[in-house]
Amino acid sequence: MSIPNISPAASPIVEAVDVHKSFGSLDVLKGINLAVSKGEVVCLLGPSGSGKSTFLRCINHLERMTRGRIFVDSRLIGYHERGDALYEMSSKDLAAQRRDIGMVFQRFNLFAHQDVLTNISQPPILNRGTPRAEALDRARELLKMVDLEGRGSAYPYQLSGGQQQRVAIARALAMNPKLMLFDEPTSALDPELVGEVLNVMRKLAADGMTMIVVTHELSFAREVADRIIFMDQGVVVEEGPARELLDNPRQQRTQAFLRRMH
Amino acid sequence: MTTPKIIPARNWGQRAVALLLIIIVALLVSLVATSRHIIWSAIPQYIFDETILDGIKLTILFTVLSMVISIIAGAILAMMRLSPNPVLSAFASLYIWFFRGTPLLVQIIFWFNIQLFIPSIDIGSFHVDTNSIITAFIAALLALSLNEAAYMAEIIRGGLMAVDSGQHEAAKALGYTPGQAMLRIIFPQALRVIIPPIGNQTISMLKTTSLVSIVAAQDLLTRAQNIYARNFLIIELLIVASIWYLVMTTIASAIQFIVEQRLGKSTNQTPGFVTNALRLMRAEGRNG
Repeated sequence: MSIPNISPAASPIVEAVDVHKSFGSLDVLKGINLAVSKGEVVCLLGPSGSGKSTFLRCINHLERMTRGRIFVDSRLIGYHERGDALYEMSSKDLAAQRRDIGMVFQRFNLFAHQDVLTNISQPPILNRGTPRAEALDRARELLKMVDLEGRGSAYPYQLSGGQQQRVAIARALAMNPKLMLFDEPTSALDPELVGEVLNVMRKLAADGMTMIVVTHELSFAREVADRIIFMDQGVVVEEGPARELLDNPRQQRTQAFLRRMH
Repeated sequence: MTTPKIIPARNWGQRAVALLLIIIVALLVSLVATSRHIIWSAIPQYIFDETILDGIKLTILFTVLSMVISIIAGAILAMMRLSPNPVLSAFASLYIWFFRGTPLLVQIIFWFNIQLFIPSIDIGSFHVDTNSIITAFIAALLALSLNEAAYMAEIIRGGLMAVDSGQHEAAKALGYTPGQAMLRIIFPQALRVIIPPIGNQTISMLKTTSLVSIVAAQDLLTRAQNIYARNFLIIELLIVASIWYLVMTTIASAIQFIVEQRLGKSTNQTPGFVTNALRLMRAEGRNG
């Protein structure tokens, strides 16, 4: 498959090769190929059940794929390749790989028993060996970045959904990831709270973060994404520059989907 | 014009039952208090008896040790039960099934008599009579702990399952190893659910330990029995023992109350367990 819209010199930071996934007899992914270069923002669109979230979750091995390979920064994710077999990594090695891949969930998943500052600072303290003082400073900095300065001592249940999601983004960023995965980050939010989360994501994109975003926000995709991948029934139906794909979809399935979304 | 006074409805049925209860309790109290068969002076005489106090120490020791052992064993069993490995999970299920399904009294007697089918332990040149290891104390402690572990396993498993699976996923995505995720993220949240029933189990255990008197394990009840075997003041010494059991369970309940209050304050996604219970009780008081 050709990789449009990136300069040939840039080696991809994410490369998925022939990724398959089935749950029992149900084939959710039927051979996904994708390359994302550094600093690129890619939106995955598609009807529910198209496999886009499952594919995203394969990138940090939260989901075990059935066949194929995914590389992040040229390193095979989740497996050691020996001979013609892929051996799944130990949970320790997996943990080490995931530290470079930030993820933001639909349901925020902030640690409910920890205040905001601990939520953000504990992962780098434990998993990167960052000194405590440094991690706390960085956490405060990140809170400012997501417009939540001074809310460090709040507990997740005291925050609105939009605020929780912004903390979740700060928490993922605190690990200094090479790449950020967003799994429908605004789908669980009240409509009036969507904007504040998208604003933070816009800022992140402008700062040059590599982002893969599963979303239903077409206007966000149009404005921020470099490229859109349209998936349906476990395959990539169409991909291309954001505006081009949204304004002039070539495939019938893409056209039908976009009509429904408007 | 004066505002008329509001007089709440009177529930005559409840009043009648209350009166009846007062009469019954008064009769019972007078029956016991005026009984010529109870030697009341024996109670102050024995309540601080050294033998009784030693028994209390042992009852507390049994309670604390068996709770600590059963919480550790229960946590291991709970994790085995939740493990994807079918052998581990089946073993845990079997254990829980067996130890919950047989009476504790039978288990106590069994451990006390273990030497009947394992007379001695021989490892190489090492030889020891089972009888010299499995004293009444050890038999009682083993029985209480192993039995309680089965209940603890279910309590802890319930607590672990009550933690949202998203918490586990987030921990994984942030590079926590499974052990770290359990220790830092899952277990602290499970504690909110686990601690109230552990409190109940502890209070229950204070009284359950009296079962070990069947093997004369020198707990409070054993001591009371030893004394009344000599002087035949059976009811008097049972009253002495009961007073001490009430004192211990009351203190344990107070500790439980304080712990649960703290727990409710520090990490409440929802208002604390105790706060909720109090609110319920208050609401019911208002209705009644």
